[in-house]
Amino acid sequence: MSDDVTPRLQLDGIATGFGGNTVLHGVDLTVAPGEIAGVLGLNGAGKSVTMKVVAGLQPAWEGRVLLDGHDITDLPAEERVAAGLGHVTQGRQVFDGLTVEQNLRLGAYTLRRRHPERYAERLEAMFTRFPRLKDRRSQPAGTMSGGEQAMLAVGRALMSNPSLLLVDEPSAGLAPAIVAELFDLLRSVNEDGVTILLVEQNVAFALDVVDSVHVLQRGRVVHAGATDELDRDELAAHLGIGRLLTASVGRSGR
Amino acid sequence: MTSRRAAALAALAVVAPVLLGHTTGIASVWYRIVAIGVTYALMTLSLNVLMGYAGQISLGHAGFLAVGAYTSGLLTSRADLSFVIGFIVAGLVGGAVALLVGLPALRLRGLLLAVTTIGFLVMMTESVLQWRWLSRGSAGVELPRPELGPISLAENSDYLAFLLLLFLAFWILDEHLTSSRLGRGFLGIREDEQVAASYGIDIARTKLTAFVLSGVLAGIAGAAFGHLALLVNSSTFSLQFSLSIVAWVIIGGLGSRVGVAVSGLLFGIFPPTFERLITWDPIRDHLDNLVLVIGATLFLVTITINPNGFVGAVREKREEKEADAARKALRAGLDDAEDPTLPSLPVPPARHGDLAPGTTVLEVSDIVVRFGGLTAVDHASFEVKAGEIVGLIGPNGAGKTTLFDAIGGFNQPRSGSVRLLGRDLSDLPAHERANAGLGRTFQRTGLAMALTVRENLLLAQYALASYDNLAALARTSAVRDAEAVLGARADEVIEALGFQAFSDLPVRHLSGGQRRIVEIACTLATAPDLLMLDEPTAGMAPAAVENLADRLRELRDEHGRTILLIEHHVPLVLDVCDRIVVLDQGRVIATGEPDAILSDANVLQAYLGERAARQAGLLPDDDVAGERDGELVG
Amino acid sequence: MTFALVSGVVVGAIYGLFAVGIVLVYRGSRVINFAAPALGTFALYLAWTMTHERTTSWWTAAILAILATGAIALLFERLVVQRMHAASPLAIAVATIGLMLLLTAIELLFWDPSPRFLPGPLEGDGIRVAGLVISPTQLLSLVVVAGLGYGLTQFLRRTDFGLGVQAAAMDPAALRLVGVPLAEVSGFVWATGGMLAAIAALLVEPTIGAFGPGFMTQAFFVPSLAAALVGGLDDVNGAFVGGIVVGVLSELTSWAFLGSSVPGASTVAVFILIVVVLLVVPGGLVGALRERLRTNLLATATGGLS
Repeated sequence: MSDDVTPRLQLDGIATGFGGNTVLHGVDLTVAPGEIAGVLGLNGAGKSVTMKVVAGLQPAWEGRVLLDGHDITDLPAEERVAAGLGHVTQGRQVFDGLTVEQNLRLGAYTLRRRHPERYAERLEAMFTRFPRLKDRRSQPAGTMSGGEQAMLAVGRALMSNPSLLLVDEPSAGLAPAIVAELFDLLRSVNEDGVTILLVEQNVAFALDVVDSVHVLQRGRVVHAGATDELDRDELAAHLGIGRLLTASVGRSGR
Repeated sequence: MTSRRAAALAALAVVAPVLLGHTTGIASVWYRIVAIGVTYALMTLSLNVLMGYAGQISLGHAGFLAVGAYTSGLLTSRADLSFVIGFIVAGLVGGAVALLVGLPALRLRGLLLAVTTIGFLVMMTESVLQWRWLSRGSAGVELPRPELGPISLAENSDYLAFLLLLFLAFWILDEHLTSSRLGRGFLGIREDEQVAASYGIDIARTKLTAFVLSGVLAGIAGAAFGHLALLVNSSTFSLQFSLSIVAWVIIGGLGSRVGVAVSGLLFGIFPPTFERLITWDPIRDHLDNLVLVIGATLFLVTITINPNGFVGAVREKREEKEADAARKALRAGLDDAEDPTLPSLPVPPARHGDLAPGTTVLEVSDIVVRFGGLTAVDHASFEVKAGEIVGLIGPNGAGKTTLFDAIGGFNQPRSGSVRLLGRDLSDLPAHERANAGLGRTFQRTGLAMALTVRENLLLAQYALASYDNLAALARTSAVRDAEAVLGARADEVIEALGFQAFSDLPVRHLSGGQRRIVEIACTLATAPDLLMLDEPTAGMAPAAVENLADRLRELRDEHGRTILLIEHHVPLVLDVCDRIVVLDQGRVIATGEPDAILSDANVLQAYLGERAARQAGLLPDDDVAGERDGELVG
Repeated sequence: MTFALVSGVVVGAIYGLFAVGIVLVYRGSRVINFAAPALGTFALYLAWTMTHERTTSWWTAAILAILATGAIALLFERLVVQRMHAASPLAIAVATIGLMLLLTAIELLFWDPSPRFLPGPLEGDGIRVAGLVISPTQLLSLVVVAGLGYGLTQFLRRTDFGLGVQAAAMDPAALRLVGVPLAEVSGFVWATGGMLAAIAALLVEPTIGAFGPGFMTQAFFVPSLAAALVGGLDDVNGAFVGGIVVGVLSELTSWAFLGSSVPGASTVAVFILIVVVLLVVPGGLVGALRERLRTNLLATATGGLS
């Protein structure tokens, strides 16, 4: 790998916490352009706090956040969106009282401020990609199925034409079939050239799509590398699924 | 407060003003000014019970005061009854009205509840207090100064003596309240209703008790104020006045007895004092209004800096320092980033004593929980036998915590039943299930964050003390004995944890790992027959995780406990559990001993995804797996 | 009875206006602004001073008072609400009580408690409907209320920022993550809430006749809140409808209890309405009715097709 490729996202020694308690102890993390990077870890490892630091919802006590080489550490969350971050948020994914089209329009909020003329074309592109959203453009988002809402959440995040898409725990609170659908969607979005940072606790889902992995444990990165070159034993140990993996390997070796 | 000290203060309260009033030439109006301050302090103390301790926002507190003042006024001036009866009935009626106003609190929380209390007050001032048979026109209700046989309290100084006695009584009652299980119940529902319910606290009953107690005190405070003012009408108890009392309580510090009393006292005394002392005309006329402006500004500044008031801000600073010192002390012998491990704890005997091995402790049948369109738990059934450690595992979103909530009574399953030791719990609320012997921890860490470690341990033992509320307020010797036992147990646990330095610090200053340990200690202190742990290792140091296995085994083998464990940390589960129940997509997909679970293809697929399971050779399509084997082992 | 209905609509429109201010703030901050009527009263004092101690015309004074009130609300948002970002909505709502107390105290300090009158902008006899004389100012207020209602609804629906205001109530954190500046949304709703309260107070004052310090709070706070709750607390149109419902209910109750020995019966009715709405249809009466209507219409429509 050449070193002169500027990483899409780089976290440099991020430390943060709440009150007197430190939650992240110097997290380093790099996302290369074009890849799907995964942050894995058990509950309480600091995954969502890391995501909040990247998003600008949690201040970094120490360290820097670089997006395409630009320091965004001090930008508020809204301006980071303008700078190129797109978010697929955890939990209630869409503005359920607004229609599908209104959701997409809000997704293009920063785009419409800078290039109002590009909105129509972008919306059309989105409808071509997701015809189901076009059919339901005037329907309140909250009345759609879980899968359609997940689709809308991704579509809304893509409206601002982000250079990095942040996806926070997509498997939480969604039926597994919908999660699978969502992951397929993310893969195809990535194939179109969008870099993705995915935080996920469900290893089963995550390992199927990510190109590289950072494993967090108690606020530190304990393992990082490309998915293909992973030492799965070590990974399993870090994720607390140790013997499940080794046992399965032992069996298949027989 | 010791009874000797109380008696001394009571004597002083009576003698000082009476003596001063009858021997010195201090103008009568000064006693009146101090008396206003004391009545305001009675008001803030009464509101603090409801808002500070129980966390129920009441913006219509002046309504209760009005009820008390009108009641005592009507009884003494029109029915010519003794003021003693007037005050007692004022308290009773105040409590009864508060009970009615509190009823919506069973369904409503926070802002919306506050709205109903404002509605109540405006209804009182605009309508009820103006009913003609009450007020006889707009003049209002007269309240003569109390007379008791030969003793007349007509002089301001004598009435002040009476008010000081009343204040002392409120103070002692408040002390008794906060050091009893009733007061802890209030704090519990303020901090976290779910956690409170898991300790066996009846949320609805406790809330209403807080309303009633606050209403009784407010009724008496209203009567005290009325007999000082001599005449009250609907405009005495305006919305403005009601909200001012809220402001005084917040400036003084929600939940701080000293703070709210001082705040009430000062806001009562200052305006009239300034008015008398400052004689410079341009300001003199506006003084009381100037004080209002200063008070409102002070209130805004206080709440902006710290919603818990000035006292809260000061307290927080001090605690921060102590927490730092305590952390250092604790870590002196430990690796800097590591948290302490869970030691062997003193464990009270379980509620139903030792159970014969093989007894079915928990029987979960056919539970279905739906949220909107999502079926979170889908016909789940399993059993836990006495002396077993059963692991409940499954990937994220499998429905484990939802199933825990269904067992504990924290959500409403569509169907299915839960039996504990043969008793059907399905229709019982959470706190009754806790009292039936279910003890649980929460994934998000179920502790009362603003309470200290010791207070949390005392709160956890809520259901283990059996004295009633009136005894608590009177603090009978039985109460003192019971509390001594609870306190000793709490101290024993703190010592075993090695947390002496943290004992009097709010748990929010503890690290995630420390909180987990305190939470487990609290749940054990409830003396449950079945211990349900929801991801105890989340946020724990690796050393603490390993150590947890030993503790769980110890609980099973030496204390005869039965344990149900949700855990993502699979090695721990495999290591410690006798049986494992695997949940995926809300369904139980496997039940069995650890070895059987390890070789179950469904389980591996659920955990590792299809690709990994296939690679492991557990699914029919072996071609890919063959190629990848080396990679996996290497 | 028709008399009561008509006057209910007239006063209800004002409740609705206050309620919309409360609803907007609730949408943007999840906070009930207890100071809304106090802001209205303050606008009256400002306008009164300009028209009585200077020779400013009603219209100029009104516009200046409205802007000043909006500025006060905005200042409160910047100095208090923004700083309390970590606090619960309940704590912020309690802080609005501080604003209310402060405004009333300032009124007492700089003006005096004696009643004042601020005549309306329009003179003339008005029109007679069902035995009730509707004054020109009341007519004006109906027009203004309708216009503001329409304008606000369009703004919220048609502009990106308006959509952001709507979305803020659904999920404020997610709103920041689509790039809408939450601080601007918050400032907008508080300032607008303040201005709406000022408009409502200026329009209703001529009908009531006299005002004093803190006057609006006692008379208008609970009915306005009730209107907002009936409308569902985050529904702008619902708040207008809620205002009419509360206005008609209180006027009808007053009419029914006219001459009885129970004064202020309407406040009892409004209190009962609040409790019932909160306990039975927490999503608001208007929302519930609309939902039912929609279901029925859908049923009829599909029934017709088959």
